[in-house]
Amino acid sequence: MIKLKKLRRNDSLGPLESVLFLDFIKGLTITMKNLLRKPITTQYPKEKITPPKRFRGKHGHFVYDGQEPPSLKAIEGFMSFEKGKSRCVACYMCQTACPMPTLFRIEAIQMPDGTKKVVRFDMNLLNCLFCGLCVDACPVECLTMSDIHEMAVYRRAQAVIHMDDMEKIGATNAAAVRNLPDRIWRDDKERETLWGKVKWNF
Amino acid sequence: MPWASSQTLDRIKRTFRKITIDTQPNFVCLIVEDTQEITNILKHLKDVEDFRYFIDFHVIDFPKEKDRFLGQYILVNPYTFERLAIKVWFKSNKLPTAKEIFAGAKWAEREAYDMFGVEFEGHEDVKRMFMWEDYKYFPLRKDFPLGGIPEQKLPSLTEVLEGNTFPPSHDYDIMHTYVPTIKDIEKTEKSRITKKGQLVLNWGPLHPGTHGTMWFLFDLEGEHIIQTDVILGQLHRGMEKIAENLHYFQFLPYTDRMDYLSAVCNELSYVQAVEKLANIEVPLKARYIRTMFAELQRINSHLLWLGTGALDLGALTVFLYAFREREKIMDIIEGNAGFRLTSAFLRIGGVHYDLAKGTLEVAKYFVKDFYSKLKEYHGLLTRNRIWLKRTKDVGVITQEDVYQYGLTGPVARGSGVAYDMRKIDPYAAYDLVDFDIPVGDIGDVYDRYLVRMEEMYQSARIVEQCIEALEKMPENEPYVNKKHPAVLPPKEDVFNDLEDMVKSFRIVVHGENMPKGEVYSSGENPRGELGFYIYSIGKSSPYRLRIRSCSFYNLSVFPKVIYKHTISDAVALLGSIDPVVGETDR
Amino acid sequence: MNDMVFTAIVIAIKILVVLAVTLGLGAYLTWYERKFAGHLQARRGPTVVGPFGLLQPLADGLKLMTKAPIIPRGVDTKLYYMAIMMALVPAIMLFAVVPFGPSFKIMGHEIKPIVANLNIAILYVFAMGSMAAYGTLFAGWASNSKYAFIGSLRKAALIVSYEVVLGFAALSVILLAGSMNVFDIVDSQIKSGVWYIVYQPISFILFLFCLLAESGRVPFDIQEAEAELVTGYNVEYGGMKFGIFPLAEWYLNVLALCAIASVLYFGGWAGPHIFGPFSGFIWFLAKTFGLLFFVLWVHWTLPRYQAKDVVEFAWKYLLPISIINLVGTAFFIYFKG
Repeated sequence: MIKLKKLRRNDSLGPLESVLFLDFIKGLTITMKNLLRKPITTQYPKEKITPPKRFRGKHGHFVYDGQEPPSLKAIEGFMSFEKGKSRCVACYMCQTACPMPTLFRIEAIQMPDGTKKVVRFDMNLLNCLFCGLCVDACPVECLTMSDIHEMAVYRRAQAVIHMDDMEKIGATNAAAVRNLPDRIWRDDKERETLWGKVKWNF
Repeated sequence: MPWASSQTLDRIKRTFRKITIDTQPNFVCLIVEDTQEITNILKHLKDVEDFRYFIDFHVIDFPKEKDRFLGQYILVNPYTFERLAIKVWFKSNKLPTAKEIFAGAKWAEREAYDMFGVEFEGHEDVKRMFMWEDYKYFPLRKDFPLGGIPEQKLPSLTEVLEGNTFPPSHDYDIMHTYVPTIKDIEKTEKSRITKKGQLVLNWGPLHPGTHGTMWFLFDLEGEHIIQTDVILGQLHRGMEKIAENLHYFQFLPYTDRMDYLSAVCNELSYVQAVEKLANIEVPLKARYIRTMFAELQRINSHLLWLGTGALDLGALTVFLYAFREREKIMDIIEGNAGFRLTSAFLRIGGVHYDLAKGTLEVAKYFVKDFYSKLKEYHGLLTRNRIWLKRTKDVGVITQEDVYQYGLTGPVARGSGVAYDMRKIDPYAAYDLVDFDIPVGDIGDVYDRYLVRMEEMYQSARIVEQCIEALEKMPENEPYVNKKHPAVLPPKEDVFNDLEDMVKSFRIVVHGENMPKGEVYSSGENPRGELGFYIYSIGKSSPYRLRIRSCSFYNLSVFPKVIYKHTISDAVALLGSIDPVVGETDR
Repeated sequence: MNDMVFTAIVIAIKILVVLAVTLGLGAYLTWYERKFAGHLQARRGPTVVGPFGLLQPLADGLKLMTKAPIIPRGVDTKLYYMAIMMALVPAIMLFAVVPFGPSFKIMGHEIKPIVANLNIAILYVFAMGSMAAYGTLFAGWASNSKYAFIGSLRKAALIVSYEVVLGFAALSVILLAGSMNVFDIVDSQIKSGVWYIVYQPISFILFLFCLLAESGRVPFDIQEAEAELVTGYNVEYGGMKFGIFPLAEWYLNVLALCAIASVLYFGGWAGPHIFGPFSGFIWFLAKTFGLLFFVLWVHWTLPRYQAKDVVEFAWKYLLPISIINLVGTAFFIYFKG
């Protein structure tokens, strides 16, 4: 019923192998072969590898520029948007979906004409798991993750990102990534040091 | 197939009258009414009914019931592979110990004492498992708050150095749970071992030879170890408590931080358990994708074992060669999931995205290259006389040890016990692909080495078959079961379809109420059997989530086997058991 | 009078040259090993500091010298500092009997490129090798740490066992050559036209094992098996105090013993005169570095033995083989005349 494979345990060396050190010689030839191959290092920071399209890096907000999905158009009338600023509707879905309950801090006010405006959107990235559940939960394609992964800072306060940095990321970085084809890698040449030439079928 | 058959249950019911049998679709258990009978029942099950393979023991807290705690054993019959659970209530927080019947129960009882504060008759001077000796509370009880009890003032660094009291972020709080001091740690260390030999060596907790932050105490006589103990808990994060406060889909990123080397396999076991509970059917394409990624992660994890195992024993180059192959696998996973290590690629009901374009070509290229690289590793190590001297007949684990301590995975298969969850209870697409299970003979370190090398080869075969099947499927096959009410719909549907947007809103904000019941489901991690036990009372988060971690039980055999061996043997043995601290400590 | 002054000047120059060359070479051997290990492991070694990383040893030296000197509580300070000297000095003294090439004439005087032309040169090599044990013993004891203690005990056992085997292995070659003077050994190889490795392959393999053991390289580096003892006996040393130990043990010791091995088995500076007047020196260096390449190649390929296996290997297998080899060589010489 269960297909077993009893291991062949060839565990003692014959007399010829023993005296002539054939096991050592085999190991030495393998390392010599590797000595003569090209090394596979990518010399960071001179050469960097671009992350693929689906990479989950620093968060960004897509801006209100006319490319919104139908789900936003349905509630556009209730919100006060500016062209070039974030299209967040303060539905708090990202905050609810996040496994860390205290990571987001979102505040919205009611404008005099009855529409809603988001005034504060802080994320404490020091606690973030970078799992992407918040991006999955956003119903209006506002919250997204870019490919920025070098996020070192000197103080804890600098690790909290606010809505203005996120809009900048969304307008430049994330927008460029969004329009790429859904391929496994973005730049084949960078990956060639490790993989060699891969034959594509398309 | 994995649960006990009705004939076995009838036989047991005829022998013991004061038990009730509860049969659910995914969980079969005996409820023992008389607490003092439990020892006789366990002995009967082990000797007469052949349920001699100890899998797990854990405790559930019901604060409103008369006897507050419910203990639960899970046993397996290794000849017919039937599984059975036994429930028993604690009488005034006490239960007769099971460590005379199953040696692995000793560590499980220590963990139960540490987390719940229950006592065991016959297991006196029980020591804490994860917390330090003087810790006052029992964390997994229902009255202990999730964030701990903040009773110590811990200012931030800028406050200490510059006097700047402006809070650095919006969720900063100056009061913190109690942090152990050096005195607490020294007290824990002293209480674990009483010195009988010449010197007590601290191997760990920060050491390049232990695979993570494990702390061993060796009592040495010359170079031979006459006593040893393991102090765990340096990476304890309280995942079981966190799960009780999150929805089912929100717990997924936590599961891939347990055995962080094979994240997809952990997620697969968890997602299987939830799908069994809610009766969700997974589409065929998602099953193949899950299998392919789980097997790629298995190769990934075994390559790391090979690299670090060889590095500990002195072969310094194998480490770098293994990492070259790992880089390739992580490139494949990164292109599909977005992250290399903690990928969060699976979702309840399917996978997160469809495969990225070009994945199958790259995976095929990898597998073709991998066979020749496996031959290189074999040539460097397998018949090398130094490697043989270091690993042959070292750390022999017998079949009886496997049953008593609950060892699973390559550790059990190296000793001759053919226990592989992929064949016993096939999940994902394992019943649609063809592969063999390597089984060893003697149970020493060399056997486990051969078992894992052969498993890598078999995984590569499985990946090839999955690639073939995926290539034949049409482009628009579904990758997630959208129709089930508990499954989050994919993004394109949320943007364009009002129904799906409302469904997504409902699941994220309120969670989906899972049906009442219990489920125990396990999957084959590269290290052993990772089991999830979910007790659901009909809400959107589990009442109790128990993670049966394979590395925890695998590590418990270490003090027994290492007796009278040298430190160098301890290094080889630890490498072959291959624990991952994220999983032993959770 | 003139003669004595001239000899004194010549000796002073020789000492300075040998010291400068060996210390500089020792530092650059680190670069060589790192580049070699890197390319063997499918990566590059140092590349950032200087072209091809050639200035890396200078950067390393500077870094080690400017580190904070942390001395743990409870060390025996006299022994702690003496251990460093006891490790470095014998390794450098070994170079006093290494011949770098054939003798040449300057201003009518014949000069042999060797600092001290002893008649018991090989015995001196054994003596200096054994003195290296003191460095590790002192370091392990003075460090007041259990890991260092275990490491130094292991190394002491290792050196004692492998010195004996080294003695017997080299003795066979000395029997063939008839003298312990390095120049006589090389001259007898040049005269007979056949290098001694052809006559004594077993002895060469034994010498190679002892070379690996004396200098603490894999497969015999039990005293600093990283997974067991972190860095063994020098775990409590930091900065340049730490830097001296691998310099002396891994690089200078290996270089000196490789040079002695090429003198004993490969004919020293014998070789066709294709490089002009310096060809003797070039052949000697080529043979030494070839042997060094092989030692490094073995280091980065094989796993390491257990401590008890290493000592058992020396006493139970290598020593009988070396004695049988010696007796066989003696009979061969006696009957061949």
